[in-house]
Amino acid sequence: MTNPTLALRSVSKSFGMTAALSDMTLELFPGEVHAIVGENGAGKSTMIKIMTGVYQPSSGQIELDGAAVVLPGTKAARLRGVAAIYQEPMVFPDLDVTENISISSTEGLVLHRGAMRRAAEALIARIGMKLDVDRVASGLTLAEQQAVEIARALSQDVRVLIMDEPTASLSAHEATELRRIAKSLAEGGVSVVYISHRLEEVFQVADRVTVIRDGMHISTRLVGETNPQLLIAEMVGREVGNYFTKMASTARDEVLLSVHDLGVAGVFQGISFDLRRGEVLAMSGLIGARRTDVALALFGILKISSGTVSYKGAPLKVASPRDAIAAGIAYVSEDRRKLGLAMALPIRWNISLATLRRYLSALGLIDVKAEAGMAEVFRQRLNIRTPDVEMAVGMLSGGNQQKVMLAKWLNMEPDLLIVDEPTRGIDVGAKAEVHDLIRAFAAAGGAVLVVSSDLPEVLAMGDRILVMREGRQMAVIEAADASQERIMALATGQRGAA
Amino acid sequence: MMARLKSWEGLLLATLAVIFLFNVWATPEFISPANQINLFQLSIEKIIMALVMTFVIINAEIDLSIGSMMGLSACAFGYFFQLGVDPVLCIVICLAIGAVGGAFNGFFVTRIGLPSLVVTLATLIGFRGLARVMVEDHGINNFPAWFDRLGQEGLVGRVPFALIAFFVLFVFLYIVLERSSFGRLTYVIGSNKDVAEFAGIDTGRHKMVIFTASGLIAAFAGLLFAARVGAVRGDVGNGFELDVITIVLLGGVSIFGGKGTLVGTLLSVLIVLNLRNGMGLLNITGHIQTGVIGILLISSVIIPRIPLGRGKLKAEA
Amino acid sequence: MLQKIAPQTLRLLALVAVMVLITLFFASQISGFLNGRLFNRISSSVAIMALIATGQTLVILTRNIDLSVGSIVGFVAFATGLMVGHHPDLNPIVLLVFSMLIGAGFGLVNGVLVAYARVPSIIVTLATMALYRSSLVWFSDGKSITTESLPQWLINFPNTVLFSLGAMEFRAAFCASLVVVIAVALAMAKLRPARQIYAVGSNPEAADLAGIDAARVVLAAFVLSGVLSGLAGYMFLARYGTITVVAGLGFELKSVASAVVGGVNIFGGSGSVIGAFLGAILVDLLENGLRLLPGLSEFWREAVLGALILAAVATDTVISRRLAAVRAARAQKEALAAREVAP
Repeated sequence: MTNPTLALRSVSKSFGMTAALSDMTLELFPGEVHAIVGENGAGKSTMIKIMTGVYQPSSGQIELDGAAVVLPGTKAARLRGVAAIYQEPMVFPDLDVTENISISSTEGLVLHRGAMRRAAEALIARIGMKLDVDRVASGLTLAEQQAVEIARALSQDVRVLIMDEPTASLSAHEATELRRIAKSLAEGGVSVVYISHRLEEVFQVADRVTVIRDGMHISTRLVGETNPQLLIAEMVGREVGNYFTKMASTARDEVLLSVHDLGVAGVFQGISFDLRRGEVLAMSGLIGARRTDVALALFGILKISSGTVSYKGAPLKVASPRDAIAAGIAYVSEDRRKLGLAMALPIRWNISLATLRRYLSALGLIDVKAEAGMAEVFRQRLNIRTPDVEMAVGMLSGGNQQKVMLAKWLNMEPDLLIVDEPTRGIDVGAKAEVHDLIRAFAAAGGAVLVVSSDLPEVLAMGDRILVMREGRQMAVIEAADASQERIMALATGQRGAA
Repeated sequence: MMARLKSWEGLLLATLAVIFLFNVWATPEFISPANQINLFQLSIEKIIMALVMTFVIINAEIDLSIGSMMGLSACAFGYFFQLGVDPVLCIVICLAIGAVGGAFNGFFVTRIGLPSLVVTLATLIGFRGLARVMVEDHGINNFPAWFDRLGQEGLVGRVPFALIAFFVLFVFLYIVLERSSFGRLTYVIGSNKDVAEFAGIDTGRHKMVIFTASGLIAAFAGLLFAARVGAVRGDVGNGFELDVITIVLLGGVSIFGGKGTLVGTLLSVLIVLNLRNGMGLLNITGHIQTGVIGILLISSVIIPRIPLGRGKLKAEA
Repeated sequence: MLQKIAPQTLRLLALVAVMVLITLFFASQISGFLNGRLFNRISSSVAIMALIATGQTLVILTRNIDLSVGSIVGFVAFATGLMVGHHPDLNPIVLLVFSMLIGAGFGLVNGVLVAYARVPSIIVTLATMALYRSSLVWFSDGKSITTESLPQWLINFPNTVLFSLGAMEFRAAFCASLVVVIAVALAMAKLRPARQIYAVGSNPEAADLAGIDAARVVLAAFVLSGVLSGLAGYMFLARYGTITVVAGLGFELKSVASAVVGGVNIFGGSGSVIGAFLGAILVDLLENGLRLLPGLSEFWREAVLGALILAAVATDTVISRRLAAVRAARAQKEALAAREVAP
């Protein structure tokens, strides 16, 4: 082969104590589609951000055409021909297609609409799409918006195009189109980096495939020299020390929640499971599997459009979080910053938020003593490391924030606890503590639905495991029959694994 | 956060002390009870509205319509009084207009989902228009003697009704903001509305209450004005919204919501009053005073950003 | 079908339709409503407001707001009056540049504080509105500019009739203002840097990724708003001759109202200068019509204006939200249908 267009040489990146990427080496050659696969959190997005100039490597270097370069920002990366498109396209909703494509151009003061239009049409034609270039971007489908983004990158003579989960939100037909575009760009000499959770897609589109895990490079092979089973094994293969202890089931007989053929129009459908008191059901799947949406439907945020949910022996009627909370359902969000905690406010306030009514005196005033006492109890019980509960919760580490969020919902004493990504972004010690807390809640008679992308966590916590893929239920398997390979196979669409 | 707030309040207190001492030094008659009461009395409507505006802004909203609502209420009082309606009933009608006007703002913000900046900008113009419709271009006066007396003379000793109302309202709202669940939720919703929604809180109803209260107090301020001046015109309260917002922001309430205290607002009220009074005694005109306060306002946003060697919020890992 | 027409064009068409309906309504209620005097009155007043609304539009497009424009107009009108009073022989163009430069200076202060000191624009311009006004008070020292102190050419300029269509007189001030508005509109459509204003307001994150320097764009918008306000100050002086410290008071809100009624999205990113111009006309048309309407107090005009702004924004928001929902539903349906077909 010729020289690589772009190469990462022993690149590491750490955030505080956490190493997101260690000693990563990757070479991208002109004309190849290079797939990168790995579990959620394996370090793929950190790697993209380094290649596109969003992050700077902590050590190691980036080479373009064999020469070491520094990419101090996205603009610098774009000027050097490195661009990325994401699952959620970055278009300007108020501008039309032509303008979206030409906005980055800096040639000339006066715009020549005719020339711009022709250029846009040519680019759209080059990627083989049919699109009216006068349409306003807010009216385009996701696939069309992605095409616009690709065209914009092409207009700037892109040499390395990174596609991050580009097909996750597309229909099958649109996804086929997109893969064809990726291939034809590579044939034109572009290095295409293709990140995907769909293994079959990797084999359709890629020339080579690199597996990364825990921020490290595991393997790079020609697609002809590997197969789905091997990839899955490499993606999940861990050293024994990293496993969590498998927890014994505490399930009782009483069925608390019974979901039958549940669906939300256009999001997911056909979800069926029973959840007993004392049981932990883990929901596994990759990005775009729509697990969180199932949780949101049960919590009254999304409107259920089909199927039945029976809860405590009666049909469940929730139209808002208020209703859900009144029914004894708690939802611990995956998004601490946006939906979980009011970061600027004290720990005590956050813990009592969902249960404030309990600490009111007859006059409607807050009994601060009782509230602080409760917060202190949780601080000790959950081992929240903070000098006192009056501190702003944003000052805590991620793991301790997670515990504050759990405290908020455990204090509600719910019957059904839904926990979304309970240990994302927190250290190993805190992870084990969170697992113990959740299991203790189940052992006391609560039912738990855990949504998690962390396979060892799913295996350690789940009494049963529900695997989803693209808005569909693939299977519900008993913990005893589950393995990382089997779950990954189901999550990537190898139906035979069920 | 608490430490930071305290430090801001400390800064305000120090500023206040400097201005106060300067005033005493420059003009000895400054500390006379008459001047001190006069100091409050001259801006009483603004500082009362600042108390509720503190809630509005902590809740991450804004109400630009209060000056116009104040004018509308004052003019409505004059209008109905002229029609021969019993003055007490007039007062009730005016307060009702305030509440309805505030709820009208709240409706467009919470149910239609428009930004409060736009909604209250429109009602700033609209309420003012209604006020002008009522009194057109003439003034109304000759209110009942007891009404004028209430506004102009001491109720308890030399302390007039309005000043007592201000302090009573301050204490009441202080308790609400610091001790009640309503106050707590004002902070939480202002800090992160979605977190509040996910915790099962009816944020729409909460905001509705705040906007209604804002309208109600603005109407109350309009009545105070009518009583204090003894006459109303179409331009009563014109531009007051800006002074009120300035006072609140200067007091350390964040324009992005979730942060601030009523003590900060009170200190800011005292600073602004002392500053204006001091400048007035030095023969500096009202417009220039406003300019100085404008500079203070921008500084109040920039100064807290200057790092004081304290740790910032830790970024999430 | 609707997708073919850009939402912005739809907005303008709707605005024109509303204007026609309102005009017809007034014409049916007021005898002799549609005459040359009406045109002349509206065009004289719009000549000033259109300039301010144009600048305001540029700022709003970037997701900001400029509440200081009224104070800038007042200050510039006074300073220009003083200047020409002392130097009556000054070249009109030099005087014009003088006005625009003062405006630019004020706009620069706003822009630096918003774009680089990162203070929210509503706070900055709330403060500078007061600050610029007090500068005027300090600067004027309680004096006023009077017509007598101004050269004749300046006073004659706004009312010079360039040409007439029947009873409709096209006066110099209006024509000049129209030329500026059209020039800015053309620039916004044709110049590359101008499109960045839309990009920054439409999606700041994407603008950053596309390599656009958002701070510089915001700064430019504020400076331009200052320049246009300076220009308006010049026109204000010429039209009224008498300038006191309250000159231009309330223009900030009227300019925001013109822009918003003209379909400029208060959240930035969409809207046009022509829309704001039409908005300014509509606002003035209403004011004039309501004043003449028999049986109605002329004082209704502000109340109606407030209602109009609210109605315009609410309708626009609700309709565009509906449209987005319909589109999303259709896209989802297609996606799910396509998934059915997939293996």
